[in-house]
Amino acid sequence: MFFHWLEKNPFYFALMISVVISFAGLLEIVPNFAQAARPLSTEKPKTVLELAGKNLYVKDNCIACHSQMIRPFKSETDRYGKYSLSGEYAYDRPFLWGSKRTGPDLHRVGNYRTTDWHENHMRDPKAMVPGSIMPAYKHMFTNVADIESAYAEAVTVKNAFFTPYGPEFKRTRAAWEAHRPKVIADAKKIADDMKDEDVKKAVANGEVPEIVAMIAYLNSLK
Amino acid sequence: MDIQNIQGYGMFFLTIFLTVILYWYILYLYRSEKKGERDFEKYGRIALDDNIDSPLVEDKIASERDNTKEQNK
Amino acid sequence: MQSNAALEYDYTVAKLFTYVTILFGFLGMLVGTILALQLAFPELNYLIGEYGTFSRLRPIHTNTVIFGFTVSGVFATWYYFAQRVLKVSMAESRFLMIMGKVHFWVYFIGALIATITLVFGISAGKEYAQYEWWVDIVIVIIWIMWGVNIFGMIGIRREKALYVSIWYYLACFLGIAMLYLFNNMSIPTYFATEGLGSIHHSVSMYSGTNDALVQWWYGHNAVAFGFTVPIVGMIYYFLPKESGQAIYSYKLSLLSFWGLMFVYLWAGSHHLLWSTVPDWMQTMGSAFSIVLILPSWGSAINMLLTMKGEWNQLAENPLIKFMVIASTFYMLSTIEGPIQAIKSVNAIAHFTDWIPGHVHDGVLGWVVFMIMASLFHMTPRMFKREIYSKKLMGIQFWMQTTAVVLYFTSMWIAGITQGMMWRAVDEYGNLVYSFIDTVTVLHPYYVIRGVSGVLYTAGFILFAFNIYKTITAGRKLTEEPQFRTPMA
Ligand code: HEC
Ligand code: HEM
Repeated sequence: MFFHWLEKNPFYFALMISVVISFAGLLEIVPNFAQAARPLSTEKPKTVLELAGKNLYVKDNCIACHSQMIRPFKSETDRYGKYSLSGEYAYDRPFLWGSKRTGPDLHRVGNYRTTDWHENHMRDPKAMVPGSIMPAYKHMFTNVADIESAYAEAVTVKNAFFTPYGPEFKRTRAAWEAHRPKVIADAKKIADDMKDEDVKKAVANGEVPEIVAMIAYLNSLK
Repeated sequence: MDIQNIQGYGMFFLTIFLTVILYWYILYLYRSEKKGERDFEKYGRIALDDNIDSPLVEDKIASERDNTKEQNK
Repeated sequence: MQSNAALEYDYTVAKLFTYVTILFGFLGMLVGTILALQLAFPELNYLIGEYGTFSRLRPIHTNTVIFGFTVSGVFATWYYFAQRVLKVSMAESRFLMIMGKVHFWVYFIGALIATITLVFGISAGKEYAQYEWWVDIVIVIIWIMWGVNIFGMIGIRREKALYVSIWYYLACFLGIAMLYLFNNMSIPTYFATEGLGSIHHSVSMYSGTNDALVQWWYGHNAVAFGFTVPIVGMIYYFLPKESGQAIYSYKLSLLSFWGLMFVYLWAGSHHLLWSTVPDWMQTMGSAFSIVLILPSWGSAINMLLTMKGEWNQLAENPLIKFMVIASTFYMLSTIEGPIQAIKSVNAIAHFTDWIPGHVHDGVLGWVVFMIMASLFHMTPRMFKREIYSKKLMGIQFWMQTTAVVLYFTSMWIAGITQGMMWRAVDEYGNLVYSFIDTVTVLHPYYVIRGVSGVLYTAGFILFAFNIYKTITAGRKLTEEPQFRTPMA
């Protein structure tokens, strides 16, 4: 008898378990893959500075308290703006939807908060919003952001997944050195809207403090 | 036929298929016990008599010996 | 294989894993308690500079309790009971013995290094899959070593029939292997370029909605194959053995096994209701989550019925009490989960504190209770000593049960309050509350949860103390107890 035989043969038994449990994944995820990966036509990949900010969002794990997924309810669209569409996430690696809203959704925070506001808020949330339980991220004002890894990431996704970055994105160190001034220029635009003198000085010296990349990323969430 | 349809049909028939197998399995479990072919509840003893010298419910070494005997026949 | 009379089961590896189960359990719960208190009192975020914020600590909590505590508990119990139900001693195979020890040390050192990477924020960003690519590789190696032991032990067994607990552990092994591999697929950017940037950094092979689907297919089933399947396997061995009663219906245990295998994997998309994944998948997620009640309750009822006619043991033996309340909490959380997966309920519950509430009545009431009960059962047999104190065990039981109840009741209320306030509108259809209103209102509940964390962790320290005293000062036993664990 089939079942009797199965129970007595650990190898085929293990195989049977694997078949039963992979069934759902195969049917659910695989067929839809190409379609779900399609970006909206208006969607642009993030700049290197914004990517560096995204990596800080991951490093300091803002996802622990913030979502980036506006659900199609009136109460949410009133609060956060238009509900989220699949195509908006097509360049997000990893996805950062989150699963807990200890703080508000951030998917469109770039529409209603400014560089200046973020600067004050990240340094001391309570000063901006009394009663806030968000931690202050003072260390972001002194730590230096890893923009080189962000560039490496852009090149990798361009080569591996055809993310539309321009022809100047190449695997070589020389290409990175050539691109670096552009990142600093982007950083300077943010720093100009900030008040912190040390941050301004660092950017003038060709360094990007974490807070600048973080704000660039938050501003890009629209 | 687009991908959604294929997924839908695939889902439907595979679920039916696995449900049939599951019910077949239930039938098998209870029928073979009723007919006296197998006793499943005796396996429950494995957890209770688990000293290294406790009696085995089904002896692997002995049954392999029997198998080779059969093949040599 | 010769069968000589002096042959005994060899618990060397089981003992090692027992120690680290307790160590990681304590650390994980300590961090959990700190997290809980940080939400109530945000000043606690700055104890150790940038490394001590809530957001940095949270992955340390989740990964330590999952991959540290629970997984080593699974390993410890495996190295203990597998020998016994397969009727073969680890001492009979030098290869498996050495492999077991290597498995332990690689695991232990690997776990410490992995934790350090999280402290420094080296993270791939996906929940319960934060470890960066090279840590993933170490984890895969550790997992394969366990697989070698599983299949090795099965290969040299004397008992031909595989006891149902072995089925569950086998499924845990296969399930986690498959999920972990697929979810963590990523490209290290350092090697994809001419050595640009950090060597740790990698980028996920999936993007956006696909990444979300793969992640929750993983995330949900990591719960299934880490917190449910092996723990059910555990109770199917330890409850009958402790009570001296065979499983109520062995057939039902086999049926629920296949039921769980088939249904669980479909339910993952209930984490993504109302998001941008296709509608039919959301509906499948909801529907299968409800079907999931059947195999889950099948197992739970089977456990409770095993005690049929023997309920007096519940009063006499604290270990039975632990296991019975564990199955009760299992029933509670497997009915609560499907309720949260109903789309209209999910609209309120998702993103709120009700979700951690649900998680913790499962893990604190079911997973931790079962693992502690198993270790209590194993220790006297591994060390040939009586449990140090029955009284302490009773105190621990009530402390921790109270803590679980405090945890989930406070989070239920907090979650539903928050969910309702987010959507509350006045007569003109305008939102009534600003976001910060919905944060400050939760303060009392966060305080209650903090208290519950302190209570639960204190109970766990009692547990660790009791085990320690058992090993060092428990009355010596002359022979191995048959069923009921002796305690002073
Ligand atoms: C302990 C949970 C927690 C963590 C971790 C956290 N936040 Fe917050 N965040 C909150 C809360 C609560 C609020 C609402 C009160 C406020 O504005 O301070 C908030 C508000 C915000 C806002 C304002 C949004 C708005 O619509 O007004 C931004 C922007 C923000 N957080 C960014 C971040 C970033 C970036 C990180 C990671 C570095 C982060 N948060 C980490 C809890 C958290
Ligand atoms: C003393 C005991 C514990 C306390 C006080 C505690 C506290 C916490 C807190 C405060 C969070 C964050 C919730 C949030 O973001 O709002 C959390 C998350 C989590 N904990 Fe615990 N915890 C404890 C024990 C455990 C144990 C033993 C496990 C597993 C075996 C566990 C598994 C988890 C998981 C999986 C999450 C993530 C939940 C989610 O994403 O929704 N916890 N815990």
